Amino acid sequence: MADNNLILEIRDLRKYFPIVGGLLGRQVGLVRAVDGVSFSIRRGETLGLVGESGCGKSTTGRAILLLHQPTSGEVVFEGQDLTLLPTEELRKLRVKMQMIFQDPYASLNPRHSVQKIVGEPLMINGLMKPGSPELRARVAEMLQLVGLDPFYMRRFPHEFSGGQRQRIGIARALSINPSFIICDEPISALDVSIQAQVVNLLQDLQDQLGLTYLFIAHDLSMVKHISHRIAVMYLGKIMELTDRNELFNNPLHPYTQSLISAVPFPDPKLERKRRRFILKGDPPSPANPPRGCVFHTRCPLAVEECYTIEPEFHEIQPDHYIACHLADEKGSSKIPEKTVLAAELA
Amino acid sequence: MNTILQVNDLVTKFYTVDGVINAVNGVTFELREGETLAIVGESGSGKSVTMMSILGLIPTPPGKVENGEAIFTSFGSSHDLLQLTPAELRNVRGGQIGFVFQDPISTLNPIMTIGEQISETLTRHLRISGEEARERTVKLLAQVGIPDPELRYKNYPFQFSGGMRQRVVIAIAIACTPQIIIADEPTTALDVTVQAQIVELFRNLRESLNVAIIWITHDLGVVAGLADRVLVMYGGRIAETASVDDLYERPQHPYTMGLLGALPRMDESDSKRLVSIKGTPPDLLIPLRHCPFAWRCDYAFDRCWEEVPPQIEISSHHKVSCFYDLEKGEPRDG
Repeated sequence: MADNNLILEIRDLRKYFPIVGGLLGRQVGLVRAVDGVSFSIRRGETLGLVGESGCGKSTTGRAILLLHQPTSGEVVFEGQDLTLLPTEELRKLRVKMQMIFQDPYASLNPRHSVQKIVGEPLMINGLMKPGSPELRARVAEMLQLVGLDPFYMRRFPHEFSGGQRQRIGIARALSINPSFIICDEPISALDVSIQAQVVNLLQDLQDQLGLTYLFIAHDLSMVKHISHRIAVMYLGKIMELTDRNELFNNPLHPYTQSLISAVPFPDPKLERKRRRFILKGDPPSPANPPRGCVFHTRCPLAVEECYTIEPEFHEIQPDHYIACHLADEKGSSKIPEKTVLAAELA
Repeated sequence: MNTILQVNDLVTKFYTVDGVINAVNGVTFELREGETLAIVGESGSGKSVTMMSILGLIPTPPGKVENGEAIFTSFGSSHDLLQLTPAELRNVRGGQIGFVFQDPISTLNPIMTIGEQISETLTRHLRISGEEARERTVKLLAQVGIPDPELRYKNYPFQFSGGMRQRVVIAIAIACTPQIIIADEPTTALDVTVQAQIVELFRNLRESLNVAIIWITHDLGVVAGLADRVLVMYGGRIAETASVDDLYERPQHPYTMGLLGALPRMDESDSKRLVSIKGTPPDLLIPLRHCPFAWRCDYAFDRCWEEVPPQIEISSHHKVSCFYDLEKGEPRDG
């Protein structure tokens, strides 16, 4: 690949899950969890992926690691298309890609000690021998890195709180020195005061180790805090992708605007002044997505072409991508003034 | 404004095999007519147990309300809710006090149509005919924003989406024109765009029904746009209580300050590093002998480890349970 600066490039990624039904277990439909997603991630940056539940953001993360075999599309990691690689080659590359999971209670084996959990990626990849002093030293180093006392190595997950467990999960992901980490809702199961601890830790580790993150979450304010660029997903497709401040100050997609409008600010005076842009209804099912633009059923601004023609995901301004018929080339949207945004309050 | 609910020195404990869980350790607060009071706290802070104690919903055993009173004043007469018989309490719950819980799917009966569920509440509390209950149910469904209420009357909960189900639960809560609605994390299970719809619905209902709302949540963001007053709970105690403007502008408790600092500000373009509160929430198995927050507090000094701080009144609408004066940067006098 020409651009050395890109660590990951995804082209037209699709992941469909079959719906089986009836006596014979025949396929009766398809859930289009991820339906043609393209984006790239630069080395050392954090790309935030936001969306509501069921929009396919976690499936996208899993499909990148081939934890779900993609239905179609390319996943180019450091210049190699993972979907075409033989298993052996893939295993070697996977060492550089790790994942941090949402639920710190379900993602750690309760029967394994912390030492086994954190050391397992090293053992599986044959980098260190079980029980060797190097392994123990490496586990101790990792625990220290995430702010846990190496003394806890022999303890078991149930002896830790949610925040500490998430730190163990982070230590496990880091143990084999990856360059790219997918964080799948890493803080949504934690209390507010603990969320800040984990987010700060992730940012410190990025600075220290030069990591690249794909940060998947539904909380737009937290995603904006940690990400350099943000992709907004809806019903298996990316609606808008741009720099985090640009997304907030100049959101061009009506869905992005409504998402921003729906996030409450922790400031009573500001909240009272806000004019809200509240969407009607709920997201449709990905098993039966609407024709045309997938957002048209909830879009207050939809025009005729939105019902029939699917908008193309294209670059409307440098580094600002959008899939909407209403945003014009000059970058200003055709969206009426009254759908006001937070940025206009200041 | 008149006080409609006065809770004094409430203590609730759970007797489990692991020991005694000190869930609520002396909580005192009041709710005034027509106001929206938010109770904010993290998991285990005692915010839900406080409300369940008042409504007689604590499973006994293992739970036990050991002390306190909850004076509910309605139409000129006052009762201590904690002294009422179960039958009397059932008349209050769903009648003068309505409630909305976090998870609408487990609140609703899956094998009853939603129309029947709302009508049931009406006939149970108001002694009206089935025909009249049906008419009022259809009106209620329309009032909470459910399209085609006539048709939807015959639907079952599984035919509704999460946000629509929560609207049905709200319709049940307001069915008997209550004076108080207790909403326990009503938007936590919902997506942001749907959460915004439900918050907006509450704003409108508050205006049209003039009902007092107790909004229990962990989300200081939603509270800012909805509440009149806020109560911050920590370790089964009230850490701070203030009007919503005061709390966000001049937090007086180190915990409140920490919570506000831990929230990312989407309205600022440079993200500052988040303030994190060190350590983990308190172990409620240990009886309370000192300030529950002392373990995690940067300002804790000798006195914080010796006694439990009482509520100190800073102004007529601002109370804090802390020995340290954050504004002066030194321990308080007295």
